[in-house]
Amino acid sequence: MRDKPYKILVVDDEVDLEPLMLQRMRRKIRSGTYDFVFAHNGLEALEVLNRDKEIDMVLSDINMPQMDGLALLEQIPKVDPNLRAVIISAYGDMKNIRTAMNRGAFDFVTKPLDFKDLQVTIERTLQHLAEWKEALQSRDKLVALQNELDVASQMQRSILPSRFPSGDNYEVYGDMEAARNVGGDFFDVLNLQDDKVGLAVADVSDKGVPAALFMMSSRTLLKGSAIGYMDDVAGLMTELNNLLVEDNEASMFVTLFYGVFNPYTGSFVYSNGGHNTPVIYHADGSTTLLPLTNGIALAVVPDMSFEMHSVTLAPGDTLVLYTDGVTEAMNEHKEEFETSRLLKVFEGSPPSGAQQANEAVFQAVRDFVGDTPQSDDITCLSLHYEGPSS
Amino acid sequence: MAVNSDRQNGTLIARADGRIDGANAREFQVALESAIDPTDSNVVLDLENLSYISSAGLRVILMTAKTLQRQKAKFAICSLSPSIKEVFQISGFDRIIPIHSTLDDALSALK
Repeated sequence: MRDKPYKILVVDDEVDLEPLMLQRMRRKIRSGTYDFVFAHNGLEALEVLNRDKEIDMVLSDINMPQMDGLALLEQIPKVDPNLRAVIISAYGDMKNIRTAMNRGAFDFVTKPLDFKDLQVTIERTLQHLAEWKEALQSRDKLVALQNELDVASQMQRSILPSRFPSGDNYEVYGDMEAARNVGGDFFDVLNLQDDKVGLAVADVSDKGVPAALFMMSSRTLLKGSAIGYMDDVAGLMTELNNLLVEDNEASMFVTLFYGVFNPYTGSFVYSNGGHNTPVIYHADGSTTLLPLTNGIALAVVPDMSFEMHSVTLAPGDTLVLYTDGVTEAMNEHKEEFETSRLLKVFEGSPPSGAQQANEAVFQAVRDFVGDTPQSDDITCLSLHYEGPSS
Repeated sequence: MAVNSDRQNGTLIARADGRIDGANAREFQVALESAIDPTDSNVVLDLENLSYISSAGLRVILMTAKTLQRQKAKFAICSLSPSIKEVFQISGFDRIIPIHSTLDDALSALK
């Protein structure tokens, strides 16, 4: 039930129809269901339609001076394609009725008017109109949703680094393959003091514009705080968590792995906020999963404490950071890629560089999933270390 | 995504099964919210038949935990498969939501 009456334009050159219609439909008018406006030929009707955008349907006679009902029918869609017209024709005038229906009339009634039948016809037309408008609305919602997802995906892409720092003894490379419906992954590579490099990989728990905004603020806050905290990555996580948890009514959260690499010593100090644990592929073909630091995802609970760990990379080590889009990539048998397959990507031939390692992980995931569409972003960030610089 | 629920001695037991991912997380949220009454003071979420949960699903559980905290209700989850338990451990959610291995353990812990 809608809150305002349906507005019906009645077009007839017989002036008697107006008082008759108002009299017969008085109950519907009084109850606020219908509202009538009148015109006396096609031209006048078009003027009214152009002026009054509230009109829902047209009830029109065929034979009228200046512009007849059949000509009016042709003009109505140009004013508003969502208007519906019902034609009043002489009884048995099949030729005109056919023409009217071919020109897009929704229905017809015959003269002399049977007001009971007219009311049923009007109701049927309005019912159809309501359903039609509802369908249009859900289509518009779908379009809006798609636009929103496009905006979110552009925001997501815009924050990814496109250039990576490198030195003569190390290489960094990262990439993300976005899921069709936009996930929440991002990664970042930060140039810090003393040639140190900050590496971050993260996954926001939701989709769409709010999640993309949350992602952008996570990334901006990380960038802004990283320089001040340097190697105190646990302190950085505590700070980020407290900043992100404020005003987080939607209960979004972000899992974040962040570490600082020192290219002169090979040391890597890191803290894990609820994120998948990275892998080190060693030159001898063995692998190590970095121990967790008991951290919780950021923005969940204020004043959480975070721990950090430190490892020293050996010459030839490749550190691979990733999101759960890698380990939870699914093939057609609904099997997941899992950490076990990730550990075996370089079996027998350890990676020789960061880009090569990163691309090999993506290729392994692609080979595994085949044509199965992925529901989550796949992100991978690699660091290859040749040994202390000379 | 259906959530089945019943009450045992004043504790609401809600059960989710199958997969919870980005595609049906909202559905799960609505189902879980409608299963819980504002008057419930003890709630157990039994995940015995859950095979997969993504971060979007974790978020729904987090929101539920927060809502229940506001209504001063006790909340626990139970019967997690090893892979789902791992998701809770990696994300650190096991630090803020009590996890029990069986429904009975959860029920007696909430007493």
